[in-house]
Amino acid sequence: MERINQSQLAAMIIFFQIGSSPLFLLASEAGQDAWISVFIGMLCGALLLIAVTLPIHRMAPDQDLSGILNQTFGRVAGSVVGIAYIVYFCYKAVRNLREFGDLMNMFLLPNTPISLSMFIILTIAGYAVYHGVEVFARVAELTLAAIIIVYVILFLMMYFTHLIDFHRLEPILDTGIKKVLNAAIPEVVSFPFGEMVLFLMFWKYAGPAERTPKVTMYSFLIAGTFITLTTMIIISSLGPLAGFSVVPLIQVVNLVEFANFIERLDPLVALLLFGGVFMKMTAYFFGAALLLAQLLGRHRRTGIIPAGILIFVGSLLFRSYMQQVWFGFEQNLKVHFPIFQVFFPTALLLAMWIKSAFRRRLSG
Amino acid sequence: MKLWRIPFLTRKRKPNRPDFNNSANSEPRNAGTNNAASHQKEPQPSEGSYSDVSTDVATNVRRIQGILGDSSDIVVRKISDPATGLDKVAFVYIDDIVDQQTINQMLLQPLMTEIGEQEKSSSAADWFHILKNRVVSIGHIVELQALGDAVAELLGGSTLIFLQDSTVALAASTSGGEKRSVEEPTSQTVTRGPKESFTEGIKTNLSLIRRRIKSPNLRVEYKQIGKQTQTNIGIVYMKGIVNDKVVEEVRLRLDRIDTDSILESGYIEEFIQDAAITPFPTIENTERPDAVCGGILEGQVAIVVDGTPFVLLAPVTFIRFFQSSEDYYQRYDIATFLRLIRYTSFFVSMLLPGLFIAISTFHQEMLPTPLLISLAAQREGVPFPAIIEGLMMEITFEVLREAGVRMPRVIGSAISIVGALVLGQAAVQAGLVSAAMVIVVSFTAISNFVIPALNMAIAARLIRFSLMILGGTFGLFGIMSGLMVLLIHMVSLRSFGISYLTPISPFVWSNWKDLFVRVPHWMMKKRPLPFASNNVSRLGDRQKPTPPKPKS
Repeated sequence: MERINQSQLAAMIIFFQIGSSPLFLLASEAGQDAWISVFIGMLCGALLLIAVTLPIHRMAPDQDLSGILNQTFGRVAGSVVGIAYIVYFCYKAVRNLREFGDLMNMFLLPNTPISLSMFIILTIAGYAVYHGVEVFARVAELTLAAIIIVYVILFLMMYFTHLIDFHRLEPILDTGIKKVLNAAIPEVVSFPFGEMVLFLMFWKYAGPAERTPKVTMYSFLIAGTFITLTTMIIISSLGPLAGFSVVPLIQVVNLVEFANFIERLDPLVALLLFGGVFMKMTAYFFGAALLLAQLLGRHRRTGIIPAGILIFVGSLLFRSYMQQVWFGFEQNLKVHFPIFQVFFPTALLLAMWIKSAFRRRLSG
Repeated sequence: MKLWRIPFLTRKRKPNRPDFNNSANSEPRNAGTNNAASHQKEPQPSEGSYSDVSTDVATNVRRIQGILGDSSDIVVRKISDPATGLDKVAFVYIDDIVDQQTINQMLLQPLMTEIGEQEKSSSAADWFHILKNRVVSIGHIVELQALGDAVAELLGGSTLIFLQDSTVALAASTSGGEKRSVEEPTSQTVTRGPKESFTEGIKTNLSLIRRRIKSPNLRVEYKQIGKQTQTNIGIVYMKGIVNDKVVEEVRLRLDRIDTDSILESGYIEEFIQDAAITPFPTIENTERPDAVCGGILEGQVAIVVDGTPFVLLAPVTFIRFFQSSEDYYQRYDIATFLRLIRYTSFFVSMLLPGLFIAISTFHQEMLPTPLLISLAAQREGVPFPAIIEGLMMEITFEVLREAGVRMPRVIGSAISIVGALVLGQAAVQAGLVSAAMVIVVSFTAISNFVIPALNMAIAARLIRFSLMILGGTFGLFGIMSGLMVLLIHMVSLRSFGISYLTPISPFVWSNWKDLFVRVPHWMMKKRPLPFASNNVSRLGDRQKPTPPKPKS
């Protein structure tokens, strides 16, 4: 079996968490307190991770999602839940792919048909999946360093061009904690912090296994802090305007003018954001392909083309960016968060507990 | 391989046609030579023409001449002196590949002297003893019983000695012939460092390595590959430093080669490299003995091929192609600076035209306004889109470059005049291309020459074209996609089990001392990890130079 080491796992998690999050102003209802909502969301996400997702992995460290489902729910019920998860992963991939295509259309290639750019990026993702977990994790490890450096330079440039004014964050908690909490739960918890369910597909490759939970937690918190920071920077540079722009971060970068010749950096930032979206999409694509192949009892590579077709067709179903974002946030609240991120994992964990307790009783 | 199944081509050989090469390969001839085992599976032809050495000298000579088809360069010198009981002895050699002087002084002259000194008549067995122990004054001799082996030795430059009534022939190593002397390297030059380069002879090349590493742990293994060419291949490594699994893998892959001919190390490289379809080289080659020694001391395996000055080194990682041996001879600060320049040049030579096309076609807003205006003014009269313009110029340059390599040296200056003046300046003045594009293409071309390893420079050249097309069709998105595919591909590459991007991913911190920065020698305490499996430490303690403390 392929193995990835802990730093590669950490890179994957950070990349996956950051992914497309800086594209949006999360918890925009909370106004200037959005960053507090994000922080609370992160804490709740961490709680979910500690209480549910990681224990599942710890009870079956050498199994991935399909194995755990089959073992716990039996072959038929396990497959049904497995198929549901394939659809969920595929939808998530669709969402990222569509975001990618639409933003490409908006910022870089207005004349290229969106289906073409989506097809290209999906093919590249398929190529990454074809090479396996190890290659994917190492690509994440490699690019993460570069992306973080670019982000830091960007933030520094914003700071030194006096775009950032932390007074815009005031007054803190002006409208009370309730509004902030409402913005955080369940929306921010479900996206992006509740999405760690996907890593049930990848954790088993990480070694040494006993360090996995710790590394996961740390990298999760690092990514969460980074997202909180990004939100703070967006708000403190754009102020109330942040709530209205399509991609606030690009809006900010647009205003950067440095040393009289560095200006209009937005294509660069767009690429940076797309790097994150690409990695996230590939991770979901990977999860879907892997799960599909395992349900069919085949090698991973057989899952690539069916899952790819599913994702591509799915991404063409939306009429516009707005529709897909609206649909995304709507579904997140109704379906993903309660069902796939909380209900199924909790049920799974309970079933595993009961089963193992039962077995202990029988043997003891 | 399907081709070989066609009946016409796989028709049985004529039974009387000698197939001595197979026979030569099927038995190990001496301890130093391990033959490719794969040859053994072929059925041994059973005709008597080259079976065993016969007791009759004339028969042996006739058979050998039969096997070699009466080639005119075979020399047979027969001597007989019935008075001393020396019935008949024959020296057989091929004129072109032996050292005539050695034969005269070390074989014929001693024999004549010996005959003169003999007082009584000796038997054939005695004569064999005399021949072997008192006459042949040559270090390397082999006793042979099969005629096929004898022929193989003969073709390797040995002189065969047949004695009447003896079923054992002697082969004395007398190989010689014209060779090029050790000269300065032509493809990998340095300003400071040894000026020796490998030559075509494997013996010379091995001597250049042995002379630099006088360690008993330096091991050399010979193999012969190529059914027709019987090329000598030497595997060289440091026992105790090298990873034994890598050596085993090298042996295995070399043994698997089943081919007619090996004329250059490039043949070997293509047979044993890890990924068949990739623009990136996964085996290093160099003509510098010091580079090979450096590699061997860090745990690489060198493969020396007879007939070429280019020695292969494996396993190899991406970054090794950017390390020139001069880095270790110059001061570390300038070495570091030059290394950064090389990495930058690699990316420039790969990316610059693509980026220029992408930005000037799709993302003009990224350019500062004055530059944009000046670019637009230059392009005003140019009838082509940027991508066509760029491709045209690049192909023109590639043609110039190829012409520069192939043409006779005498007319070299003509090309530079035509290239620089006509194609550069005149094309701009005629409004065919913009001046900016000429600058971009020239700078790209010059950057390409900075990369120390030619095969890596070639990779960048090929990738450049695809990135230009991607940049011209999809802008920065296209270039990013191309780079992503490249990255995924490079991460998946391996060279003899070692990941291609090793110190960067997987992350090996101790190897970073020799990656972007070349730290001083006294800080490189350990050998690079993935190559060297054992004996990792290469320095003593406290090697940092410090001035003596003042006595108080």
